[in-house]
Amino acid sequence: MIQLKTVSKKFNNEMAIQDVSLTIQKGDIYGLIGPSGAGKSTLLRMMNLLERPTTGDVFIEGKSLTNLSNAKLREARKSIGMIFQQFNLVANKSVYKNIEIALELANFPKSERKARVEECLKFVGLEAMQHKYPAQLSGGQKQRVAIARAIANNPTILLCDEPTSSLDPSTTNEILSVLQSINQTFGVTIIIVSHEMDVIKSICTRVSVLSEGQLYETVDIMPLGIHTIEAHPQSFVDALRMGGE
Amino acid sequence: MPDVLIQYQAEIVQAILETFIMVGASIVAAVLVGLPVGTLLFLCQKGKVLENKLVHTVLNLLVNIIRSFPFLLLVVFLIPFTRLLVGTAIGTTAAIVPLAIIAIAHYSRLVEQSLLDVPKGVIEAAISMGASVNAIIFKFLYVEARSGLVLGLTTSTISFISYSTIMGVVGGGGIGDFAIRYGYQQFRTDLMMYMIIIMILLVQLIQIIGMTVARKIDKR
Repeated sequence: MIQLKTVSKKFNNEMAIQDVSLTIQKGDIYGLIGPSGAGKSTLLRMMNLLERPTTGDVFIEGKSLTNLSNAKLREARKSIGMIFQQFNLVANKSVYKNIEIALELANFPKSERKARVEECLKFVGLEAMQHKYPAQLSGGQKQRVAIARAIANNPTILLCDEPTSSLDPSTTNEILSVLQSINQTFGVTIIIVSHEMDVIKSICTRVSVLSEGQLYETVDIMPLGIHTIEAHPQSFVDALRMGGE
Repeated sequence: MPDVLIQYQAEIVQAILETFIMVGASIVAAVLVGLPVGTLLFLCQKGKVLENKLVHTVLNLLVNIIRSFPFLLLVVFLIPFTRLLVGTAIGTTAAIVPLAIIAIAHYSRLVEQSLLDVPKGVIEAAISMGASVNAIIFKFLYVEARSGLVLGLTTSTISFISYSTIMGVVGGGGIGDFAIRYGYQQFRTDLMMYMIIIMILLVQLIQIIGMTVARKIDKR
């Protein structure tokens, strides 16, 4: 379970996030949506403290992240995977090495690394690509490698920062189904930031709408439609609701 | 081989050896000290993992001051320090002191610049994986910036050769000093030209090696 308690973030006197509180249940695929500049990426990055809240606190499984020592925080981050819009692979490392590094950092037993890397590559369907370098891969393949890297150390949480925003529609669907199967197979809690309604609609179980650094509304997405939990008039939600009917 | 080269063969070999010693020592100083200093310069910048305004300002100022000196003046200015360090301010060994100092300042700046080329996102990915500062440096930054670091060292090495040519003023010797004393001052223009050709060949060779290595290790 991830809890944000009245978190705020100030960048040069501008409030990027203002008093946001939300709870993400274990096993959810949770969407954060909103127009650009709404603060959704900032909010996501607070969940592994890439961005430290100016005020408020972040709890993972009931434990505060902001009070951890540097060493403890590094430890905590090893069970929180993250993927990015720009993939952020190490261009000078092969696909295999890119995944192995996550295991190395987590002190994963050396003798079991090879098997684990291959297992992860197989899961994302890239077992034939392990000796290639990122520059030789397509965008979708790069994101699969990034996913393999993020899940290598068996995280309980996977943070996805605009994971499909630089991919074409069919690749987007492939990546989303990989994320969905990570959630279903391993029970990993997934949080996705996106500005694309279709992405959120297709896999999220619950969605929060952000606008200008504030939480506007949280909705459950059910197979039969959308159930509003806390309603506010907001165009994004209207769009969600229209699409759902 | 031209007669003049045979006539001065021993001196020329000696001069080449001195240049190699001076440039070699500069490279060692650049790698052993310039690389860490440049890395620290980068990491202490605003928004980086070791953000520290004081350390950054002090290092930055120091590097700038050393690089502001016309090199000849730096050599003279450092004479007391050199004497303190190696017991004499004259000779090839003494020449290494100012060369090492300029080498550190020169290469550290190029290291800082190369590291700036590493995409910010890659460092963020490293942090999100729980990487320590050491791991970020050795397993991400240096891996991603390695061809820039090699090209920087190539550029630096060529500058070190140029700097080494004026070490004659403190009896450092080397090819440049030989060219001036035997070629220019004794009106043996042909001898001076031969020395210049040796320098050109040396610089070409270093540039080719640097470029080839940088290209080989660049998978981006």
